[in-house]
Amino acid sequence: MSERIYLLPVWIRAWHWCNAVLILTLIVTGASLHFSDPNLPLLEFSRAASVHNVAGVALASLYGLFVVANIVSGNWWQYVPKPPGIGHRCMVQARYYAYGIFRGESHPYPPTREANFNALQALVYWFVMYILVPTVVATGLVFMNPEIAPERLFGLDGLLPVAVLHYLSGTIITLFVVAHIYLGTTGVTVTSLFKMMITGWHEH
Amino acid sequence: MTVLKEFLPKIWLLLAVFLVVSPAWAQGDAKSINPELLEKIRKSNAECFACHSEAGLKNPPLPGLDLAKLRETIRDDEVFKNSNHGKMECRQCHGQGYQAYPHAVGSKQLISPCEQCHAVQVMKAEMQFDNSVHAKNLKDKFTCSTCHDPHVALAAAKLGDPRKAAAQDNHMCLECHNSDLTFAKYAPADKKRPNIDKIHAWLPNTRLHWDAVRCVDCHTPVAKTLSHEIANKDKAERNCVTCHSTNTALATRLYRHVAKTEANTYGFANSALLNSIYVVGATRHPLLDWAMVGLVAATVAGVLGHGLVRIILAWRRNRSGR
Repeated sequence: MSERIYLLPVWIRAWHWCNAVLILTLIVTGASLHFSDPNLPLLEFSRAASVHNVAGVALASLYGLFVVANIVSGNWWQYVPKPPGIGHRCMVQARYYAYGIFRGESHPYPPTREANFNALQALVYWFVMYILVPTVVATGLVFMNPEIAPERLFGLDGLLPVAVLHYLSGTIITLFVVAHIYLGTTGVTVTSLFKMMITGWHEH
Repeated sequence: MTVLKEFLPKIWLLLAVFLVVSPAWAQGDAKSINPELLEKIRKSNAECFACHSEAGLKNPPLPGLDLAKLRETIRDDEVFKNSNHGKMECRQCHGQGYQAYPHAVGSKQLISPCEQCHAVQVMKAEMQFDNSVHAKNLKDKFTCSTCHDPHVALAAAKLGDPRKAAAQDNHMCLECHNSDLTFAKYAPADKKRPNIDKIHAWLPNTRLHWDAVRCVDCHTPVAKTLSHEIANKDKAERNCVTCHSTNTALATRLYRHVAKTEANTYGFANSALLNSIYVVGATRHPLLDWAMVGLVAATVAGVLGHGLVRIILAWRRNRSGR
C-alpha cells in the first residue's frame, strides 16, 4: 500500500482550482479575440470580450489574494529555487522526464511537507507565478484602461507594446498549462496528482 | 420606370446646377485660389465676424444690436478659416442681402442651398438619406445643415488623424442624441431620447469606440465607403469582427485615408491603423502568430507523444511482468 502525506491546505487547493478555471477561460476567450475571423468564429466577439474582461479582473483579484496568503502562510518559500546543487537536481529531474519515466523509475525527488516542489518545478512555478502572471495581469489591466498606456511609442499607438507583451505572456502561460495538465498524469497513478489537488493528500 | 420618374427632376437639376454655378464652385477650391483673392475674402469675412463672433458679442461694434439674436448667429473665426469653406466669402452662400447692416429683409430665405455647389454629393446623399431612419421619421425637419455645420466641417482626408474625424462626425450625432433639449426639437412629441450609454451597453469599451470610430461606421451599411443611409439600432452593424479581423472594414471606411499609406510597419498587418489605434483582431503580426501557434501545437504534440510512448512502454513492461 502506498504512503500518503497531507500536503496542500484547503486555501491552496481552492486558489488552484479557481486559478485553473479563470486561466482556461482567459485562454479560450483571448484566443477567440486575437484570432477573430468572420469565417471561423470561436466565440461571439462581444461576448468573448465581456467574459475575458470579467475573468481578467477576477484573476487579478485572485493574484492579489494569492500574494497576501503566500506571505501570511509562508508558502512563498516553496516557490524559491534553493541552491546549492539546484542545477544538478534540475538535470536529474529532466533526465527522469526524458528517460526514467519511460522505464517506470520512481520520482527522483518526491514531495515532502518542507519541499512541495522538485527543483525544476520550483524554477518553473516561480517564473510563472512571479513573472508571467503579474505581466499578463498588469498588461491586461492596462488593456482595460488604455488611457494609462503611453499615447504613442516609436510613432505608433502606445498600446501596441502592451498588447504584444500581453499576447506573448498569455501564450507562454498556455504552454505552461498544457505541460502542467500533462505532468499531472505522472503521479503513482494517472489520476493520483489530480486527486491530491482535490483532497490535499499526496500518494508516494 | 417609377425610379426613373423619381430621379429625372434631380438629374435635370444637376445639369442646370453644373452650368450655372461652376464659377462659384471654383472659388471654393482651396488649391486654385490666389493670394490676392484670399486676402479680399478674409477682409470681407472680417466685417461679418466683427459682429458674428464671441468678440463681437462682448464688444458690439454697432449700437443697438439685438444681442440675444446675435448670440444665436456667432461663429468661431479660426474654426471657420480651417474648415472646408474657410476660403470662401460668407456672402458667397449668405447672399448680398448681408452686404450692409441692418441686413435686408428676407435675406435669410435667400441663403444658397448646399446643392448650388455640391449638386452631385447632395443628389447622392438624398438618395441614401431617403432610406435612412431620419427620413422615415423626420424628413421635413432635416436639411444638410441639421447635421453638417458648414462653418465647421472639415473633410476627413484634410483632418488627417481619423480620431479627429471621429470626434467631428460623432459630435454631429451626439448634439441631438446626447441632449434631451436638442433631441426634443426634432423628434416626435411622444418620443423620449434613449440614453446613449444604456443602448450601447452591449458594446465593450463603449467610450473607447466613440473616440476611435464614428457612429456612422456601425450605423450605415458596411458595404458602402460612406453613406447617409443612417440605420437605427435594429439594422446597425453588430458584428464586431467586421472591424476586429485582419480584413477590417476600418481600412475601407474611416481609416481609408491613412490605409493608403500602409507600409507594413514592423511586419504588422493593417499597420497603417497603428499610427492611430491598436485594434484587437485587426492589428496582428503574421510571423508572431505563426510562431505562437506553432509553439502551442509543438507543446501539445510533445505531451501527446510523450504520453503515447509512456503508455506503450508501460504496457510492454506489464506484459513482460516487470
